Amino acid sequence: MKRLFTATVLILSTVILSSCGYGMPIENLNFPLVLGFDLDEDNHLLFYTSSPVFNKYADEKADIIKVKAKAIRESRKYFDALETGDVTSAKIQIFLIGKKILEHENWFSILDTVYRNPNFSGTTKMVMVDGSVEDVIFHKSKTKPQLSLFLNDLIDNNVKRTRNVKSMAHIFHREMYDKGITPVIPRLVKDKEIKLMGLALLNNKGKYVDKLSIEETSLLLLLRNQKDKELTLSTMLHQVADEGGIFNKNEVSYVVERYKGKIKTKYEKGKFRFDYDMKMYVSIDERLFPPGQITQKQLEQSIKEDLTSRFEELIKKIPKAQS
Amino acid sequence: MAGNAKETISLLQFILLIHSAQFGLGVLTLPRQLAEKSGTDGWIAIILYWFLATAVSFIMIQIMKNYPQGTIIDLISHYFGQWLGKAAAAVFAFYFAVFAGSAFIREVLFVKLWVLRGSAVPVILLLLAVPSYLVVRKNISILGRYVQIVFFMTMWTMFVYFLTFKEAQFLHLLPVLKEGWKPIFEAVKTLILPFAGFEIILFLYPYLKNKDKAAVGAVIANTLTTVMYLAVSIGAFAFFSPDEITIYHEPEMMMLKVLEFTFVERLEIALFSFYLFTMSSTVLPVIFFTAFCFSKFAGQKKHDKFVILFLVFVLLFVFVYPPTYENIKYMQEFFVKCTLIVSFAFPLLLGGYMWLYNRWKTKGAAQ
Repeated sequence: MKRLFTATVLILSTVILSSCGYGMPIENLNFPLVLGFDLDEDNHLLFYTSSPVFNKYADEKADIIKVKAKAIRESRKYFDALETGDVTSAKIQIFLIGKKILEHENWFSILDTVYRNPNFSGTTKMVMVDGSVEDVIFHKSKTKPQLSLFLNDLIDNNVKRTRNVKSMAHIFHREMYDKGITPVIPRLVKDKEIKLMGLALLNNKGKYVDKLSIEETSLLLLLRNQKDKELTLSTMLHQVADEGGIFNKNEVSYVVERYKGKIKTKYEKGKFRFDYDMKMYVSIDERLFPPGQITQKQLEQSIKEDLTSRFEELIKKIPKAQS
Repeated sequence: MAGNAKETISLLQFILLIHSAQFGLGVLTLPRQLAEKSGTDGWIAIILYWFLATAVSFIMIQIMKNYPQGTIIDLISHYFGQWLGKAAAAVFAFYFAVFAGSAFIREVLFVKLWVLRGSAVPVILLLLAVPSYLVVRKNISILGRYVQIVFFMTMWTMFVYFLTFKEAQFLHLLPVLKEGWKPIFEAVKTLILPFAGFEIILFLYPYLKNKDKAAVGAVIANTLTTVMYLAVSIGAFAFFSPDEITIYHEPEMMMLKVLEFTFVERLEIALFSFYLFTMSSTVLPVIFFTAFCFSKFAGQKKHDKFVILFLVFVLLFVFVYPPTYENIKYMQEFFVKCTLIVSFAFPLLLGGYMWLYNRWKTKGAAQ
């Protein structure tokens, strides 16, 4: 009797196991690796997806779709209407966000489902496109791999060299909700090819305020104590005679071997005050001028002055973004 | 006498049973609840509550020393008569039923949200009920072994959790005591639920092989829970920005989503499935004691029928009241009130009575 009961329960529960009834063969799946958002001329939201194609008879390697919809989840019905397979959001690697969207405040709420639905990955990278998303997502390069792979590697390599941030969806969310930090997002530009050009600074409502060049981005990451594996900076030396011509002979480049940044915080006269004490151990990597022109002390001094003035310029940019 | 000689648990099992009954479910929402009350200072409240929980555990052990051969129900029957013993069994049965019911439904909801999104709640519940019954139907030493194996089997997930500290900003924790002590004392209240479970000492004590070590075991169990909660909460406070953490319902699960290795992505899915074991080690001891108290109340020796009854009841319950996070919140709020009575007021009163009784008896014997 007891055995019969156990057997019945076991068989019943195996039969109703849902995972058995809902198979998903990979050939029938359509998983976008890049999801793009943009606005058209009349401020309607546009959604783009780029998915790899596994069918060997298909000519194109990527399947790119553009739809007009009100929200991500809502856009899915249009994607379903266009795609052969089941569209899944679980594998998205990159969010491309058009600059037009970032020019409006409070756009961040359209990403709600990314943080609500556990299907979405937490490591998806956020990238701003300075220009139209359409140009980037439909761009076909003969020498570069597929867009998602290319952008992923591009960002990862730049992060390694301390030239950009790994703006994972969750880290970006944290910055958006942190009162004390300016949200940043990598900035992508497309002329002939797709280029990663430093960062865009946003205000606390997510609106685009300013951009940072590649060098400024490295300096910002130093200020944030986020130096990664490698960092190279260059300085123009004014002490060294530049003979003119096409080759800048007074340029020196150096690798930051070790970096120590100490920040002291104070509150004075109704304002915050941050004292930065930075120590860098650098080694010269490239020097275009002949030896004997400058002593080591002078070299140290001029690098120090150059960096200080550049840091100051950068810091001046940030309060503008915070307002 | 409680059971036969085979039904004993080692000190390690005693520690892990208490720890598992506390850990597992409360931890999911703990950092958010602490942050809602006291911002990133909430972790101080955990240390304060550790003193409380340990003190009450001591009192429980002192009470149980008066009647080491039986559980609290036997003790009450012995001192106050059979009818009050029955009443105590009914109260404890009700208390554990609320505890087990809310914990079990919470576990099901977790599975539904993070692992099996396409399945209906009653189906998941039924699937979890079968192995639960198989573990709970025998005796306490089986449960002890189960909890022991689960603890060592899932310990590595804690280290994976530490990997997310790579993205953490420990600056978020500063300054300590930004708003003073008042919000911290308010946050202590939210810890009643995550720490609930140490009252099973009242039932575990007679089965413990080496009863001299019970107090040490209780301290270690509470400390273990405290250390785990501290690590999890401080990690979450450092990871999320202070205003952000209250947005997420289960912040730690979100943290695990940023984990990424070159050889594997979406590691969190595997981790969530593993976490089922940890949650089951919270739910199963409590289901056991629910059935145990019901069998004492009914005056029966075996409790396995009551396990089935309880599981069927929970199944019917989710059919009648489809559970949501909102419903379960009300259930847990009700449970917190029960905990205040059962694990704080009751041991304090009974401990006071036993102390007076023993004094009066020794005086009487001396005269």
